[in-house]
Amino acid sequence: MAGQQFHDGQVDARIVRREEVARDHVELILESPALARAVPGQFAHILTPGMLRRPVSFSRIEPDSGRVGLLFQVVGEGTAWLANCQEGERLDILGPLGHGFAPPDPSRPWCLVGGGVGIPPLYSAAAQWRESAPDVIIGARTREWVLMQKDFEQLGLGVRVTTDDGSWGQAGTVIGPLQEWLEGHADGQVFSCGPTPMLAAVASACRGRAAAQVALEQRMGCGIGACLACVVPARGQTQMEYRRVCTEGPVFLAEELIW
Amino acid sequence: MVMDLHVSLPRGLTLANPVIAASGTFGFGPEYSRYVDIGSLGAVSVKGVSPEPWLGNPPPRVWETPMGLLNSIGLQNPGMEVFVRDDLPFLREKGATVIVNIIGHTVDEYARVASRMQGEAGVAALEVNISCPNIKEGGMSFGHDPEQAYQVTRAVRQATDLPVMVKLSPNVTSPALIAQAVEQAGADMISAINTVVGLAIDVEHRRPALGGTTGGLSGPAIKPIALRVVYDVAQSVSIPIIGMGGIASAADVLEFLLAGASAVMVGTVTFQHPGRMQQIIAELPQVLSRGGFRGVSGAVGQALPAASRPQTRGGDL
Ligand SMILES: Cc1cc2nc3c(=O)[nH]c(=O)nc-3n(C[C@H](O)[C@H](O)[C@H](O)COP(=O)(O)OP(=O)(O)OC[C@H]3O[C@@H](n4cnc5c(N)ncnc54)[C@H](O)[C@@H]3O)c2cc1C
Ligand SMILES: Cc1cc2nc3c(=O)[nH]c(=O)nc-3n(C[C@H](O)[C@H](O)[C@H](O)COP(=O)(O)O)c2cc1C
Ligand code: FES
Repeated sequence: MAGQQFHDGQVDARIVRREEVARDHVELILESPALARAVPGQFAHILTPGMLRRPVSFSRIEPDSGRVGLLFQVVGEGTAWLANCQEGERLDILGPLGHGFAPPDPSRPWCLVGGGVGIPPLYSAAAQWRESAPDVIIGARTREWVLMQKDFEQLGLGVRVTTDDGSWGQAGTVIGPLQEWLEGHADGQVFSCGPTPMLAAVASACRGRAAAQVALEQRMGCGIGACLACVVPARGQTQMEYRRVCTEGPVFLAEELIW
Repeated sequence: MVMDLHVSLPRGLTLANPVIAASGTFGFGPEYSRYVDIGSLGAVSVKGVSPEPWLGNPPPRVWETPMGLLNSIGLQNPGMEVFVRDDLPFLREKGATVIVNIIGHTVDEYARVASRMQGEAGVAALEVNISCPNIKEGGMSFGHDPEQAYQVTRAVRQATDLPVMVKLSPNVTSPALIAQAVEQAGADMISAINTVVGLAIDVEHRRPALGGTTGGLSGPAIKPIALRVVYDVAQSVSIPIIGMGGIASAADVLEFLLAGASAVMVGTVTFQHPGRMQQIIAELPQVLSRGGFRGVSGAVGQALPAASRPQTRGGDL
């Protein structure tokens, strides 16, 4: 069908930079003042040749230059197609979508806990609220997939790294360093993003000790709240209810969810 | 080019154009209003509404297939009172022509939703979902048995004088038999098709991929199935048909009109292209004109066997 029409909330974003940041990981920098109004934790719903768009969080949000970043791992056809997009090409994106992180309370200790491709959205939070200087704990399967460590360090933040195979930083998962952090910081606040089992462990570690905001993934249809595909179980007033990751999330309070 | 896109349906239901948002793919109205002028669509069929809230199926609820989408939403909805209170006023204010898609576990539940919508300002018609393959009780059986389809249609008919369309499942041996039963029960229209039941396997976890085990297939993959059902049903009943299944372009719309549909619904493609329905409406005049038609109604049923083809009034073509 001839030329796609664009509407409010749908943007035609030009790729200004493409970088392979690690094996199977690409970051695209897009020029789009509309997307650069995003809140950390929000996402872009990107048109690819498949039947559904692909949700990817913002790794960088730069309102001044009108640019955003998308950092993703190639896991299937959609992300492989995205990884092959070149500088100068354009992406059809719905966004920014969803509820991002609520700003940290600057008077309380703050920690970011990220795993794998959950690390990039936490970088955008660290950059946005850098004066609140979070402690950063990031982990990955192996050394080369520890994403954005330098970027965090350039913000002047201390970064603790874990890898499953011990090839970089401390061997093990992010939960060990998180436990230590929780012991040393009363009334803390934790922002976390990563695979769901990791988030469940973060939620469990923080229960009763720190307020945790977690950014979730779920398979999506529309991305804008219409199809009810992307739900996760949450505590309703009287019983379990489903909430939409694309609309009530992706960022939830850990204690509102049923893990 | 001046082209008459109006569609006149039973009980005074008039659509400005034949393109309707399909139930379950367009929420309850507000969600897409940022991307689409919902008042400019032929109508909006809202997500299925039951008397009480339904929880729906566990996630994951969607899975991609080649040219298709498998879903097992499970008819999650907040119940008819929340719909009337929270969403209907918005739809009314936006000037949308609202079709309320109704669901129930029993004949009585369908009738309750139908009578609740009766007299509610802004409700233009009801669409009775007897065909959703997602729910083990309720929906499934009604759509699979002519007698039960008759009963539920009859109960809805008696509960309201709104225009009533009954939505058929393709997952039966003969959709035409069900269509005849609901016509006899007093349905004003038929909509077809609902999703095609299917299964996906999550190889990594060695289990069915969807939380609801089976799902309903939609999107371009089902277009030939949908066209065949519309074509068969059009030859079996004399009430109008609203066709759907995989429509993604104005050319697709013309195919459904020719197969016997008086209007169409558009679902899955909206997830990719929120503005596609408006684009289809804009391009339809050209597509009709290229096909040699001067309006929508002239194209309806023109691919049917001669004996079933609607009479074309002089000059309508
Ligand atoms: C809110 C949100 C933010 C995300 N942010 C990032 C990010 O910043 N970086 C990143 O690398 N990945 C991110 N993901 C995951 C990313 O969406 C998937 O990796 C991607 O959709 C896979 O598409 P594919 O076609 O390559 O894979 P396939 O497996 O071929 O995809 C098949 C279908 O499953 C869906 N799907 C597959 N994996 C996931 C998943 N983990 N979550 C949701 N849907 C999935 C796809 O969208 C597609 O519809 C995010 C997911 C969500 C929901
Ligand atoms: C996510 C999703 C949810 C749906 N929910 C409903 C529903 O609540 N009631 C209903 O009658 N049909 C429902 N349907 C079926 C559609 O209305 C339509 O019949 C079907 O998707 C075929 O059209 P399409 O190929 O254009 O999507 C749903 C379809 C999808 C994809
Ligand atoms: S993806 Fe459709 S409601 Fe969230």
